[in-house]
Amino acid sequence: MTKVSSSIDSGKNRRRDFTVPVLLGPCVIYLAIFAIFPLIYSLRLSLTDLTADAGSGHWVGLRNYKNLVTDPDFWNAAKNSVVVVVSSVTCQLVLGTALAMFFNMRLKGSWIVRGILVLPMLINPTVVGVMWRALLNPDWGIVNYALQRIGISPVGWLGTIEMAMKTMILVDIWQWTPFVFIIVYARLQALPQDVFESVKVDGAGTWRTFRSVTLPLLAPALVFAGVFRAVDAFRSFDLVYGLTYGGPARTTTTLSFFAFQNGFQFQNYGYAAAVAYLMLIALVIGTSALLRVINLRANEAR
Amino acid sequence: MSSSVLGMSLKARRIFGRTLSYVVLVCLGIVGIAPFVYLAILSTKRRIDILSQVPPKLTFDWAVVKDTYQEVLKDQGMQSFVWNSVLVVGTATMISLLIGTPAAYAFSRLRFRGSSRLAETILSMRFMPPITVAIPLFLMVKFFGFQDSYIGLILPYVAFSLPVVVWITIGFFDEIPSEIDDSAMVDGCSRYQVLWKVLLPIIRPGLVTAALFGAIFIWNEFLVALYIVDSREHQTISLGAATLVSAQRPIDWNIAAAVGVVAVIPILLMSLIIQRYIVRGLTAGAIK
Repeated sequence: MTKVSSSIDSGKNRRRDFTVPVLLGPCVIYLAIFAIFPLIYSLRLSLTDLTADAGSGHWVGLRNYKNLVTDPDFWNAAKNSVVVVVSSVTCQLVLGTALAMFFNMRLKGSWIVRGILVLPMLINPTVVGVMWRALLNPDWGIVNYALQRIGISPVGWLGTIEMAMKTMILVDIWQWTPFVFIIVYARLQALPQDVFESVKVDGAGTWRTFRSVTLPLLAPALVFAGVFRAVDAFRSFDLVYGLTYGGPARTTTTLSFFAFQNGFQFQNYGYAAAVAYLMLIALVIGTSALLRVINLRANEAR
Repeated sequence: MSSSVLGMSLKARRIFGRTLSYVVLVCLGIVGIAPFVYLAILSTKRRIDILSQVPPKLTFDWAVVKDTYQEVLKDQGMQSFVWNSVLVVGTATMISLLIGTPAAYAFSRLRFRGSSRLAETILSMRFMPPITVAIPLFLMVKFFGFQDSYIGLILPYVAFSLPVVVWITIGFFDEIPSEIDDSAMVDGCSRYQVLWKVLLPIIRPGLVTAALFGAIFIWNEFLVALYIVDSREHQTISLGAATLVSAQRPIDWNIAAAVGVVAVIPILLMSLIIQRYIVRGLTAGAIK
Protein backbone atom coordinates (compact mmCIF):
# COMPACT_ATOMS: atom_id res chain seq x y z
CA MET A 1 0.00 0.00 0.00
CA THR A 2 1.07 3.53 -0.60
CA LYS A 3 2.38 5.08 2.58
CA VAL A 4 0.48 8.11 3.74
CA SER A 5 3.05 10.76 4.53
CA SER A 6 2.53 14.05 6.27
CA SER A 7 0.56 16.53 4.26
CA ILE A 8 2.19 19.46 2.57
CA ASP A 9 -0.85 21.56 3.10
CA SER A 10 -0.92 24.85 1.27
CA GLY A 11 0.90 27.58 3.15
CA LYS A 12 0.90 25.83 6.50
CA ASN A 13 3.88 25.91 8.81
CA ARG A 14 6.47 23.17 8.78
CA ARG A 15 5.16 21.53 11.95
CA ARG A 16 4.24 17.88 11.38
CA ASP A 17 0.60 17.73 10.41
CA PHE A 18 -1.52 14.68 11.14
CA THR A 19 -4.62 15.76 9.24
CA VAL A 20 -4.21 13.30 6.38
CA PRO A 21 -3.49 10.23 8.52
CA VAL A 22 -6.38 11.07 10.83
CA LEU A 23 -8.86 11.50 7.96
CA LEU A 24 -7.63 8.61 5.85
CA GLY A 25 -6.36 6.24 8.50
CA PRO A 26 -9.56 4.41 9.43
CA CYS A 27 -10.58 3.87 5.82
CA VAL A 28 -7.14 2.69 4.69
CA ILE A 29 -6.59 0.43 7.69
CA TYR A 30 -10.04 -1.08 7.34
CA LEU A 31 -9.56 -1.87 3.67
CA ALA A 32 -6.07 -3.21 4.32
CA ILE A 33 -7.52 -5.72 6.78
CA PHE A 34 -10.75 -6.65 5.03
CA ALA A 35 -9.85 -6.25 1.35
CA ILE A 36 -6.09 -6.33 0.75
CA PHE A 37 -5.32 -9.04 3.27
CA PRO A 38 -8.04 -11.40 1.94
CA LEU A 39 -6.61 -10.89 -1.55
CA ILE A 40 -3.16 -11.96 -0.38
CA TYR A 41 -4.67 -14.75 1.69
CA SER A 42 -6.51 -15.92 -1.41
CA LEU A 43 -3.24 -16.13 -3.33
CA ARG A 44 -1.77 -18.27 -0.55
CA LEU A 45 -4.85 -20.49 -0.52
CA SER A 46 -4.51 -21.06 -4.23
CA LEU A 47 -1.12 -22.65 -3.54
CA THR A 48 -2.54 -25.17 -1.06
CA ASP A 49 -4.86 -28.14 -1.27
CA LEU A 50 -7.17 -26.84 1.44
CA THR A 51 -10.67 -28.28 1.47
CA ALA A 52 -13.49 -27.65 3.92
CA ASP A 53 -12.69 -30.73 6.01
CA ALA A 54 -8.91 -30.96 5.75
CA GLY A 55 -7.49 -28.60 8.39
CA SER A 56 -4.91 -26.07 7.28
CA GLY A 57 -4.15 -27.49 3.86
CA HIS A 58 -0.73 -28.41 2.56
CA TRP A 59 1.47 -26.33 0.35
CA VAL A 60 1.28 -27.73 -3.15
CA GLY A 61 3.00 -24.99 -5.11
CA LEU A 62 1.52 -24.36 -8.51
CA ARG A 63 -0.29 -27.69 -8.70
CA ASN A 64 -3.78 -26.13 -8.68
CA TYR A 65 -2.83 -23.87 -11.55
CA LYS A 66 -1.28 -26.75 -13.47
CA ASN A 67 -4.45 -28.79 -13.00
CA LEU A 68 -6.56 -25.87 -14.15
CA VAL A 69 -4.73 -25.49 -17.41
CA THR A 70 -5.54 -29.10 -18.30
CA ASP A 71 -9.09 -28.99 -16.94
CA PRO A 72 -11.54 -28.86 -19.89
CA ASP A 73 -14.25 -27.55 -17.56
CA PHE A 74 -12.07 -24.53 -16.79
CA TRP A 75 -11.60 -23.72 -20.46
CA ASN A 76 -15.29 -24.22 -21.08
CA ALA A 77 -16.07 -21.74 -18.30
CA ALA A 78 -13.48 -19.29 -19.61
CA LYS A 79 -15.01 -19.45 -23.08
CA ASN A 80 -18.50 -18.91 -21.64
CA SER A 81 -17.32 -15.89 -19.67
CA VAL A 82 -15.86 -14.31 -22.79
CA VAL A 83 -19.08 -14.96 -24.71
CA VAL A 84 -21.24 -13.45 -21.96
CA VAL A 85 -19.09 -10.38 -21.45
CA VAL A 86 -18.55 -9.54 -25.12
CA SER A 87 -22.05 -10.17 -26.41
CA SER A 88 -24.09 -8.77 -23.57
CA VAL A 89 -21.97 -5.64 -23.17
CA THR A 90 -22.01 -4.96 -26.92
CA CYS A 91 -25.79 -5.28 -27.07
CA GLN A 92 -26.22 -3.15 -23.98
CA LEU A 93 -24.06 -0.36 -25.40
CA VAL A 94 -26.00 -0.28 -28.67
CA LEU A 95 -29.45 -0.52 -27.07
CA GLY A 96 -28.56 1.82 -24.21
CA THR A 97 -27.42 4.50 -26.66
CA ALA A 98 -30.58 4.03 -28.73
CA LEU A 99 -32.66 4.41 -25.57
CA ALA A 100 -30.78 7.56 -24.60
CA MET A 101 -31.43 9.10 -28.03
CA PHE A 102 -35.08 8.10 -27.79
CA PHE A 103 -35.54 9.61 -24.34
CA ASN A 104 -33.76 12.73 -25.51
CA MET A 105 -36.96 13.50 -27.45
CA ARG A 106 -38.35 14.29 -23.99
CA LEU A 107 -41.81 12.89 -24.52
CA LYS A 108 -44.38 13.71 -21.86
CA GLY A 109 -44.49 11.07 -19.15
CA SER A 110 -41.15 9.56 -20.14
CA TRP A 111 -39.86 10.09 -16.60
CA ILE A 112 -42.28 7.40 -15.43
CA VAL A 113 -40.85 4.88 -17.89
CA ARG A 114 -37.35 5.93 -16.88
CA GLY A 115 -38.24 5.20 -13.26
CA ILE A 116 -39.50 1.75 -14.27
CA LEU A 117 -36.42 0.95 -16.31
CA VAL A 118 -34.14 1.70 -13.39
CA LEU A 119 -35.84 -0.95 -11.29
CA PRO A 120 -34.35 -4.16 -12.79
CA MET A 121 -30.76 -3.21 -12.03
CA LEU A 122 -31.53 -2.65 -8.36
CA ILE A 123 -32.99 -6.12 -7.94
CA ASN A 124 -31.08 -9.09 -6.64
CA PRO A 125 -29.98 -11.11 -9.70
CA THR A 126 -31.19 -14.31 -8.03
CA VAL A 127 -34.69 -12.88 -7.98
CA VAL A 128 -34.28 -11.70 -11.56
CA GLY A 129 -33.32 -15.28 -12.36
CA VAL A 130 -36.37 -16.80 -10.72
CA MET A 131 -38.62 -14.22 -12.37
CA TRP A 132 -37.38 -15.11 -15.84
CA ARG A 133 -37.50 -18.81 -15.11
CA ALA A 134 -41.21 -18.31 -14.50
CA LEU A 135 -41.72 -16.16 -17.60
CA LEU A 136 -39.85 -18.61 -19.81
CA ASN A 137 -41.15 -21.82 -18.26
CA PRO A 138 -41.59 -24.36 -21.07
CA ASP A 139 -44.89 -25.73 -19.73
CA TRP A 140 -46.84 -22.73 -18.43
CA GLY A 141 -44.64 -19.64 -18.93
CA ILE A 142 -46.37 -16.65 -20.44
CA VAL A 143 -43.70 -15.92 -23.05
CA ASN A 144 -44.06 -19.21 -24.90
CA TYR A 145 -47.83 -18.88 -24.58
CA ALA A 146 -47.71 -15.46 -26.22
CA LEU A 147 -45.40 -16.71 -28.96
CA GLN A 148 -47.76 -19.57 -29.71
CA ARG A 149 -50.67 -17.16 -29.93
CA ILE A 150 -48.92 -15.25 -32.71
CA GLY A 151 -47.96 -18.46 -34.47
CA ILE A 152 -44.38 -19.01 -33.35
CA SER A 153 -43.54 -22.47 -32.07
CA PRO A 154 -42.46 -22.61 -28.40
CA VAL A 155 -38.79 -22.02 -27.65
CA GLY A 156 -36.73 -24.11 -25.22
CA TRP A 157 -35.31 -21.01 -23.59
CA LEU A 158 -33.40 -22.36 -20.62
CA GLY A 159 -33.63 -26.10 -21.07
CA THR A 160 -31.78 -26.56 -24.33
CA ILE A 161 -28.06 -26.48 -24.99
CA GLU A 162 -28.49 -24.24 -28.03
CA MET A 163 -30.61 -21.60 -26.31
CA ALA A 164 -29.60 -21.44 -22.63
CA MET A 165 -26.62 -19.15 -23.10
CA LYS A 166 -28.52 -16.84 -25.46
CA THR A 167 -31.36 -16.64 -22.97
CA MET A 168 -29.01 -15.76 -20.15
CA ILE A 169 -27.50 -12.99 -22.24
CA LEU A 170 -31.00 -11.73 -23.05
CA VAL A 171 -31.91 -11.55 -19.38
CA ASP A 172 -28.66 -9.74 -18.63
CA ILE A 173 -29.51 -7.27 -21.38
CA TRP A 174 -32.97 -6.76 -19.88
CA GLN A 175 -31.48 -6.07 -16.48
CA TRP A 176 -28.52 -3.89 -17.40
CA THR A 177 -29.26 -1.96 -20.60
CA PRO A 178 -30.90 0.76 -18.46
CA PHE A 179 -27.56 1.29 -16.72
CA VAL A 180 -25.87 2.17 -20.01
CA PHE A 181 -28.90 4.25 -20.91
CA ILE A 182 -28.75 6.33 -17.71
CA ILE A 183 -25.01 6.98 -18.12
CA VAL A 184 -25.26 7.91 -21.80
CA TYR A 185 -28.41 9.98 -21.24
CA ALA A 186 -26.75 11.97 -18.47
CA ARG A 187 -23.84 12.71 -20.79
CA LEU A 188 -26.22 13.66 -23.56
CA GLN A 189 -27.93 16.18 -21.28
CA ALA A 190 -24.59 17.68 -20.34
CA LEU A 191 -23.55 18.33 -23.95
CA PRO A 192 -23.71 21.91 -25.25
CA GLN A 193 -26.81 22.18 -27.43
CA ASP A 194 -25.31 24.80 -29.78
CA VAL A 195 -23.10 22.13 -31.38
CA PHE A 196 -26.17 20.30 -32.62
CA GLU A 197 -27.82 23.49 -33.76
CA SER A 198 -24.83 24.58 -35.81
CA VAL A 199 -24.70 21.14 -37.45
CA LYS A 200 -28.39 21.39 -38.20
CA VAL A 201 -27.78 24.73 -39.88
CA ASP A 202 -25.09 23.07 -41.99
CA GLY A 203 -27.82 20.77 -43.26
CA ALA A 204 -26.51 17.45 -42.01
CA GLY A 205 -29.05 14.63 -41.82
CA THR A 206 -30.08 12.95 -38.60
CA TRP A 207 -27.90 9.89 -39.09
CA ARG A 208 -24.89 11.94 -40.20
CA THR A 209 -25.25 14.18 -37.17
CA PHE A 210 -25.39 11.17 -34.91
CA ARG A 211 -22.41 9.43 -36.51
CA SER A 212 -20.06 12.36 -36.78
CA VAL A 213 -21.08 14.64 -33.92
CA THR A 214 -23.13 12.93 -31.22
CA LEU A 215 -21.33 9.59 -31.06
CA PRO A 216 -17.81 11.00 -30.64
CA LEU A 217 -19.09 13.32 -27.93
CA LEU A 218 -20.70 10.39 -26.16
CA ALA A 219 -17.55 8.26 -26.37
CA PRO A 220 -16.30 8.90 -22.81
CA ALA A 221 -19.66 7.87 -21.35
CA LEU A 222 -19.74 4.77 -23.54
CA VAL A 223 -16.25 3.77 -22.46
CA PHE A 224 -17.14 4.24 -18.82
CA ALA A 225 -20.40 2.30 -19.10
CA GLY A 226 -18.79 -0.43 -21.21
CA VAL A 227 -15.86 -1.07 -18.89
CA PHE A 228 -18.11 -0.89 -15.84
CA ARG A 229 -20.54 -3.40 -17.31
CA ALA A 230 -17.84 -5.71 -18.65
CA VAL A 231 -16.18 -5.98 -15.25
CA ASP A 232 -19.48 -6.55 -13.47
CA ALA A 233 -20.63 -9.13 -16.00
CA PHE A 234 -17.31 -10.93 -15.61
CA ARG A 235 -17.22 -11.00 -11.84
CA SER A 236 -20.86 -11.66 -11.00
CA PHE A 237 -22.18 -15.17 -10.63
CA ASP A 238 -25.59 -14.64 -9.08
CA LEU A 239 -27.56 -14.46 -12.34
CA VAL A 240 -26.20 -17.89 -13.27
CA TYR A 241 -27.03 -19.08 -9.79
CA GLY A 242 -30.62 -17.90 -10.03
CA LEU A 243 -31.32 -18.60 -13.68
CA THR A 244 -29.58 -21.78 -14.84
CA TYR A 245 -27.21 -23.03 -12.15
CA GLY A 246 -24.66 -23.40 -14.91
CA GLY A 247 -26.65 -25.88 -16.97
CA PRO A 248 -27.72 -27.52 -19.13
CA ALA A 249 -24.51 -29.50 -19.67
CA ARG A 250 -22.36 -26.63 -18.29
CA THR A 251 -23.28 -24.42 -21.25
CA THR A 252 -23.88 -21.44 -18.96
CA THR A 253 -21.13 -22.09 -16.42
CA THR A 254 -19.02 -18.95 -16.38
CA LEU A 255 -15.67 -18.61 -14.62
CA SER A 256 -17.12 -17.01 -11.52
CA PHE A 257 -19.78 -19.70 -11.28
CA PHE A 258 -17.12 -22.38 -11.85
CA ALA A 259 -15.12 -20.89 -8.98
CA PHE A 260 -18.25 -20.75 -6.84
CA GLN A 261 -19.06 -24.40 -7.50
CA ASN A 262 -15.56 -25.53 -6.64
CA GLY A 263 -15.43 -23.41 -3.53
CA PHE A 264 -18.89 -23.87 -2.13
CA GLN A 265 -20.45 -26.98 -3.57
CA PHE A 266 -17.34 -29.16 -3.78
CA GLN A 267 -15.64 -27.25 -0.92
CA ASN A 268 -12.36 -27.38 -2.77
CA TYR A 269 -10.98 -24.08 -1.44
CA GLY A 270 -7.51 -24.26 -2.97
CA TYR A 271 -8.75 -24.99 -6.46
CA ALA A 272 -11.48 -22.33 -6.23
CA ALA A 273 -8.93 -19.78 -5.06
CA ALA A 274 -6.74 -20.58 -8.07
CA VAL A 275 -9.66 -19.97 -10.44
CA ALA A 276 -10.55 -16.76 -8.62
CA TYR A 277 -6.96 -15.57 -8.81
CA LEU A 278 -6.71 -16.19 -12.52
CA MET A 279 -9.93 -14.19 -12.85
CA LEU A 280 -8.42 -11.33 -10.90
CA ILE A 281 -5.35 -11.32 -13.12
CA ALA A 282 -7.52 -11.44 -16.26
CA LEU A 283 -9.57 -8.57 -14.87
CA VAL A 284 -6.56 -6.36 -14.20
CA ILE A 285 -4.90 -7.11 -17.53
CA GLY A 286 -8.17 -6.92 -19.42
CA THR A 287 -9.32 -3.57 -18.10
CA SER A 288 -5.96 -1.87 -18.39
CA ALA A 289 -5.47 -3.19 -21.94
CA LEU A 290 -8.98 -2.11 -22.87
CA LEU A 291 -8.48 1.36 -21.45
CA ARG A 292 -5.16 1.69 -23.24
CA VAL A 293 -6.60 0.66 -26.60
CA ILE A 294 -9.48 3.08 -26.19
CA ASN A 295 -7.07 5.85 -25.20
CA LEU A 296 -4.94 5.20 -28.28
CA ARG A 297 -7.99 5.34 -30.50
CA ALA A 298 -9.12 8.58 -28.91
CA ASN A 299 -5.70 10.11 -29.49
CA GLU A 300 -5.57 8.97 -33.10
CA ALA A 301 -8.95 10.50 -33.75
CA ARG A 302 -7.63 13.91 -32.78
CA MET B 1 -38.39 19.96 -51.24
CA SER B 2 -41.15 17.43 -51.13
CA SER B 3 -43.49 18.01 -48.23
CA SER B 4 -44.84 14.50 -48.17
CA VAL B 5 -43.37 11.15 -47.43
CA LEU B 6 -45.40 7.99 -47.97
CA GLY B 7 -48.16 10.19 -49.30
CA MET B 8 -48.66 12.01 -46.02
CA SER B 9 -48.61 15.70 -45.44
CA LEU B 10 -45.96 17.12 -43.14
CA LYS B 11 -48.47 17.56 -40.36
CA ALA B 12 -49.87 14.04 -40.64
CA ARG B 13 -46.32 12.72 -40.66
CA ARG B 14 -45.50 14.59 -37.49
CA ILE B 15 -48.60 13.28 -35.74
CA PHE B 16 -47.79 9.77 -36.94
CA GLY B 17 -44.22 10.09 -35.61
CA ARG B 18 -45.44 11.34 -32.25
CA THR B 19 -47.94 8.51 -31.91
CA LEU B 20 -45.33 5.95 -32.86
CA SER B 21 -42.93 7.41 -30.27
CA TYR B 22 -45.54 7.07 -27.55
CA VAL B 23 -46.27 3.50 -28.58
CA VAL B 24 -42.56 2.73 -28.25
CA LEU B 25 -42.45 4.47 -24.88
CA VAL B 26 -45.37 2.46 -23.56
CA CYS B 27 -43.84 -0.78 -24.88
CA LEU B 28 -40.58 0.01 -23.08
CA GLY B 29 -42.49 0.58 -19.88
CA ILE B 30 -44.26 -2.75 -20.32
CA VAL B 31 -41.03 -4.65 -20.99
CA GLY B 32 -39.61 -3.13 -17.82
CA ILE B 33 -42.53 -3.73 -15.50
CA ALA B 34 -44.32 -6.80 -16.89
CA PRO B 35 -41.96 -9.41 -15.39
CA PHE B 36 -42.60 -7.95 -11.92
CA VAL B 37 -46.35 -7.91 -12.47
CA TYR B 38 -46.28 -11.50 -13.71
CA LEU B 39 -44.34 -12.60 -10.64
CA ALA B 40 -46.82 -10.79 -8.39
CA ILE B 41 -49.76 -12.47 -10.13
CA LEU B 42 -48.16 -15.92 -9.81
CA SER B 43 -47.67 -15.35 -6.10
CA THR B 44 -51.43 -15.08 -5.64
CA LYS B 45 -52.20 -18.43 -7.28
CA ARG B 46 -52.36 -21.90 -5.87
CA ARG B 47 -49.59 -24.26 -6.89
CA ILE B 48 -51.89 -26.23 -9.12
CA ASP B 49 -53.38 -23.12 -10.77
CA ILE B 50 -49.99 -21.95 -11.94
CA LEU B 51 -49.60 -25.16 -13.90
CA SER B 52 -53.13 -25.27 -15.29
CA GLN B 53 -54.10 -21.61 -15.86
CA VAL B 54 -52.18 -20.38 -18.87
CA PRO B 55 -52.26 -17.43 -18.96
CA PRO B 56 -53.10 -16.88 -15.29
CA LYS B 57 -56.56 -15.45 -14.71
CA LEU B 58 -56.82 -12.10 -13.01
CA THR B 59 -59.13 -13.30 -10.27
CA PHE B 60 -57.82 -13.44 -6.77
CA ASP B 61 -58.72 -15.73 -3.94
CA TRP B 62 -57.62 -13.76 -0.91
CA ALA B 63 -57.55 -16.83 1.32
CA VAL B 64 -54.94 -18.39 -0.99
CA VAL B 65 -52.93 -15.16 -1.07
CA LYS B 66 -53.00 -14.99 2.71
CA ASP B 67 -51.90 -18.61 3.05
CA THR B 68 -49.00 -18.25 0.62
CA TYR B 69 -47.64 -15.07 2.17
CA GLN B 70 -48.20 -16.42 5.65
CA GLU B 71 -46.03 -19.39 4.76
CA VAL B 72 -43.35 -17.28 3.09
CA LEU B 73 -43.16 -14.61 5.78
CA LYS B 74 -43.52 -16.80 8.85
CA ASP B 75 -42.72 -20.44 8.10
CA GLN B 76 -39.97 -19.79 5.56
CA GLY B 77 -38.73 -16.89 7.66
CA MET B 78 -38.69 -14.12 5.05
CA GLN B 79 -39.99 -11.66 7.62
CA SER B 80 -36.98 -12.11 9.86
CA PHE B 81 -34.67 -12.13 6.81
CA VAL B 82 -35.91 -8.65 5.90
CA TRP B 83 -35.21 -7.47 9.43
CA ASN B 84 -31.74 -9.08 9.41
CA SER B 85 -30.94 -7.36 6.12
CA VAL B 86 -32.07 -3.98 7.41
CA LEU B 87 -29.95 -4.42 10.52
CA VAL B 88 -26.82 -5.71 8.80
CA VAL B 89 -26.94 -3.41 5.76
CA GLY B 90 -27.96 -0.40 7.87
CA THR B 91 -25.12 -0.82 10.35
CA ALA B 92 -22.53 -1.55 7.67
CA THR B 93 -23.62 1.50 5.68
CA MET B 94 -23.42 3.79 8.71
CA ILE B 95 -19.88 2.58 9.46
CA SER B 96 -18.92 3.04 5.81
CA LEU B 97 -20.18 6.61 5.83
CA LEU B 98 -18.41 7.30 9.10
CA ILE B 99 -14.98 6.23 7.88
CA GLY B 100 -15.49 6.85 4.16
CA THR B 101 -16.56 10.49 4.28
CA PRO B 102 -13.40 11.81 5.99
CA ALA B 103 -11.32 9.81 3.52
CA ALA B 104 -13.25 11.26 0.57
CA TYR B 105 -12.74 14.73 2.02
CA ALA B 106 -8.99 14.17 2.28
CA PHE B 107 -8.81 12.94 -1.32
CA SER B 108 -10.83 15.89 -2.54
CA ARG B 109 -9.04 18.66 -0.62
CA LEU B 110 -5.61 17.77 0.64
CA ARG B 111 -2.48 17.35 -1.41
CA PHE B 112 -0.23 14.55 -0.25
CA ARG B 113 2.17 12.12 -1.83
CA GLY B 114 0.50 9.12 -3.47
CA SER B 115 -2.93 10.71 -3.19
CA SER B 116 -4.31 9.75 -6.60
CA ARG B 117 -2.64 6.35 -6.50
CA LEU B 118 -4.28 5.56 -3.17
CA ALA B 119 -7.64 6.85 -4.35
CA GLU B 120 -7.45 4.66 -7.45
CA THR B 121 -6.56 1.62 -5.37
CA ILE B 122 -9.56 2.16 -3.13
CA LEU B 123 -11.95 2.80 -6.00
CA SER B 124 -10.75 -0.27 -7.90
CA MET B 125 -11.84 -2.39 -4.96
CA ARG B 126 -15.40 -1.73 -6.09
CA PHE B 127 -14.64 -4.17 -8.92
CA MET B 128 -13.09 -6.94 -6.86
CA PRO B 129 -14.72 -10.27 -7.70
CA PRO B 130 -16.51 -11.37 -4.51
CA ILE B 131 -15.46 -14.90 -5.36
CA THR B 132 -11.79 -14.00 -4.86
CA VAL B 133 -12.26 -12.80 -1.28
CA ALA B 134 -15.24 -14.87 -0.10
CA ILE B 135 -13.27 -17.85 1.22
CA PRO B 136 -10.51 -15.81 2.91
CA LEU B 137 -13.12 -13.53 4.50
CA PHE B 138 -15.00 -16.57 5.73
CA LEU B 139 -11.83 -18.06 7.24
CA MET B 140 -10.97 -14.70 8.87
CA VAL B 141 -14.43 -14.28 10.34
CA LYS B 142 -14.29 -17.85 11.60
CA PHE B 143 -10.86 -17.20 13.14
CA PHE B 144 -12.24 -14.22 15.07
CA GLY B 145 -15.17 -16.34 16.23
CA PHE B 146 -17.80 -14.25 14.47
CA GLN B 147 -19.09 -17.06 12.29
CA ASP B 148 -22.88 -17.10 11.96
CA SER B 149 -23.44 -13.70 13.55
CA TYR B 150 -24.44 -10.20 12.51
CA ILE B 151 -20.94 -8.90 13.18
CA GLY B 152 -19.55 -11.61 10.92
CA LEU B 153 -21.58 -10.16 8.06
CA ILE B 154 -21.11 -6.49 8.91
CA LEU B 155 -17.30 -6.69 8.93
CA PRO B 156 -16.89 -7.75 5.27
CA TYR B 157 -19.87 -5.67 4.12
CA VAL B 158 -18.28 -2.45 5.33
CA ALA B 159 -15.29 -3.30 3.16
CA PHE B 160 -17.59 -3.90 0.17
CA SER B 161 -19.54 -0.66 0.48
CA LEU B 162 -16.61 1.60 1.45
CA PRO B 163 -15.22 2.01 -2.08
CA VAL B 164 -18.70 2.90 -3.36
CA VAL B 165 -19.22 5.43 -0.59
CA VAL B 166 -15.79 7.02 -1.06
CA TRP B 167 -16.25 7.16 -4.82
CA ILE B 168 -19.59 8.96 -4.66
CA THR B 169 -18.70 11.38 -1.86
CA ILE B 170 -15.45 12.47 -3.54
CA GLY B 171 -17.59 13.65 -6.46
CA PHE B 172 -19.81 15.71 -4.18
CA PHE B 173 -16.88 17.27 -2.30
CA ASP B 174 -15.23 18.18 -5.60
CA GLU B 175 -18.29 20.23 -6.52
CA ILE B 176 -17.96 22.53 -3.51
CA PRO B 177 -15.51 25.36 -4.16
CA SER B 178 -12.56 25.14 -1.78
CA GLU B 179 -12.91 28.88 -1.06
CA ILE B 180 -15.60 27.85 1.40
CA ASP B 181 -13.02 25.81 3.35
CA ASP B 182 -10.53 28.65 3.18
CA SER B 183 -12.87 31.28 4.51
CA ALA B 184 -14.04 29.00 7.31
CA MET B 185 -10.42 28.35 8.25
CA VAL B 186 -9.66 32.07 8.24
CA ASP B 187 -12.52 32.37 10.70
CA GLY B 188 -10.65 29.96 12.95
CA CYS B 189 -12.09 26.57 12.10
CA SER B 190 -9.78 23.57 12.06
CA ARG B 191 -9.88 21.13 9.12
CA TYR B 192 -12.09 18.81 11.13
CA GLN B 193 -14.49 21.59 12.05
CA VAL B 194 -14.68 22.63 8.41
CA LEU B 195 -15.64 19.10 7.48
CA TRP B 196 -18.05 18.57 10.33
CA LYS B 197 -19.75 21.94 10.65
CA VAL B 198 -19.50 23.49 7.22
CA LEU B 199 -19.23 20.84 4.52
CA LEU B 200 -21.29 17.94 5.83
CA PRO B 201 -24.50 19.99 5.93
CA ILE B 202 -23.85 21.12 2.35
CA ILE B 203 -23.24 17.66 0.94
CA ARG B 204 -26.17 16.00 2.69
CA PRO B 205 -27.65 14.90 -0.69
CA GLY B 206 -24.26 13.38 -1.46
CA LEU B 207 -24.29 11.45 1.78
CA VAL B 208 -27.78 10.17 1.05
CA THR B 209 -26.74 9.10 -2.45
CA ALA B 210 -23.59 7.42 -1.15
CA ALA B 211 -25.50 5.65 1.61
CA LEU B 212 -28.20 4.40 -0.77
CA PHE B 213 -25.79 3.07 -3.36
CA GLY B 214 -23.48 1.58 -0.77
CA ALA B 215 -26.52 -0.07 0.79
CA ILE B 216 -27.89 -1.50 -2.49
CA PHE B 217 -24.42 -2.81 -3.29
CA ILE B 218 -24.43 -5.01 -0.18
CA TRP B 219 -28.19 -5.56 0.06
CA ASN B 220 -27.96 -7.93 -2.91
CA GLU B 221 -24.79 -9.70 -1.75
CA PHE B 222 -25.15 -13.32 -0.81
CA LEU B 223 -21.97 -15.20 -1.66
CA VAL B 224 -20.09 -14.13 1.46
CA ALA B 225 -23.26 -14.61 3.49
CA LEU B 226 -23.54 -18.13 2.13
CA TYR B 227 -20.21 -19.00 3.75
CA ILE B 228 -20.57 -17.04 6.97
CA VAL B 229 -24.18 -17.71 7.94
CA ASP B 230 -25.21 -21.26 8.85
CA SER B 231 -28.42 -20.81 10.79
CA ARG B 232 -31.67 -19.39 9.44
CA GLU B 233 -31.61 -17.05 12.39
CA HIS B 234 -29.05 -14.74 10.77
CA GLN B 235 -29.90 -15.09 7.08
CA THR B 236 -30.25 -11.90 5.07
CA ILE B 237 -32.99 -11.47 2.53
CA SER B 238 -30.78 -12.06 -0.50
CA LEU B 239 -29.31 -15.18 1.07
CA GLY B 240 -32.75 -16.37 2.14
CA ALA B 241 -34.20 -15.73 -1.31
CA ALA B 242 -31.21 -17.37 -2.97
CA THR B 243 -31.51 -20.55 -0.95
CA LEU B 244 -35.28 -20.69 -1.32
CA VAL B 245 -35.38 -20.20 -5.08
CA SER B 246 -32.03 -21.57 -6.28
CA ALA B 247 -32.09 -22.93 -9.81
CA GLN B 248 -30.40 -26.02 -8.40
CA ARG B 249 -33.59 -27.84 -7.47
CA PRO B 250 -37.28 -27.83 -8.34
CA ILE B 251 -39.40 -25.36 -6.46
CA ASP B 252 -42.99 -24.60 -5.55
CA TRP B 253 -43.72 -21.76 -7.91
CA ASN B 254 -46.30 -19.93 -5.86
CA ILE B 255 -43.88 -19.86 -2.93
CA ALA B 256 -40.95 -18.87 -5.14
CA ALA B 257 -42.99 -16.05 -6.66
CA ALA B 258 -44.02 -14.77 -3.24
CA VAL B 259 -40.38 -14.92 -2.07
CA GLY B 260 -39.48 -12.85 -5.12
CA VAL B 261 -42.19 -10.31 -4.36
CA VAL B 262 -41.10 -9.96 -0.74
CA ALA B 263 -37.50 -9.51 -1.87
CA VAL B 264 -38.46 -6.89 -4.45
CA ILE B 265 -40.74 -4.73 -2.28
CA PRO B 266 -38.02 -3.13 -0.10
CA ILE B 267 -36.05 -2.24 -3.24
CA LEU B 268 -39.20 -0.92 -4.87
CA LEU B 269 -39.90 1.36 -1.92
CA MET B 270 -36.28 2.47 -1.87
CA SER B 271 -36.29 3.20 -5.61
CA LEU B 272 -39.24 5.55 -5.11
CA ILE B 273 -37.24 7.47 -2.52
CA ILE B 274 -34.06 7.54 -4.55
CA GLN B 275 -35.48 8.70 -7.90
CA ARG B 276 -33.91 12.09 -7.17
CA TYR B 277 -30.51 10.66 -6.44
CA ILE B 278 -30.33 7.75 -8.80
CA VAL B 279 -28.76 9.49 -11.75
CA ARG B 280 -26.11 11.10 -9.56
CA GLY B 281 -25.32 7.79 -7.91
CA LEU B 282 -25.03 5.80 -11.10
CA THR B 283 -23.07 8.38 -13.00
CA ALA B 284 -20.56 8.98 -10.18
CA GLY B 285 -17.19 9.09 -11.89
CA ALA B 286 -18.68 9.01 -15.38
CA ILE B 287 -18.87 12.73 -15.92
CA LYS B 288 -16.13 15.00 -14.79
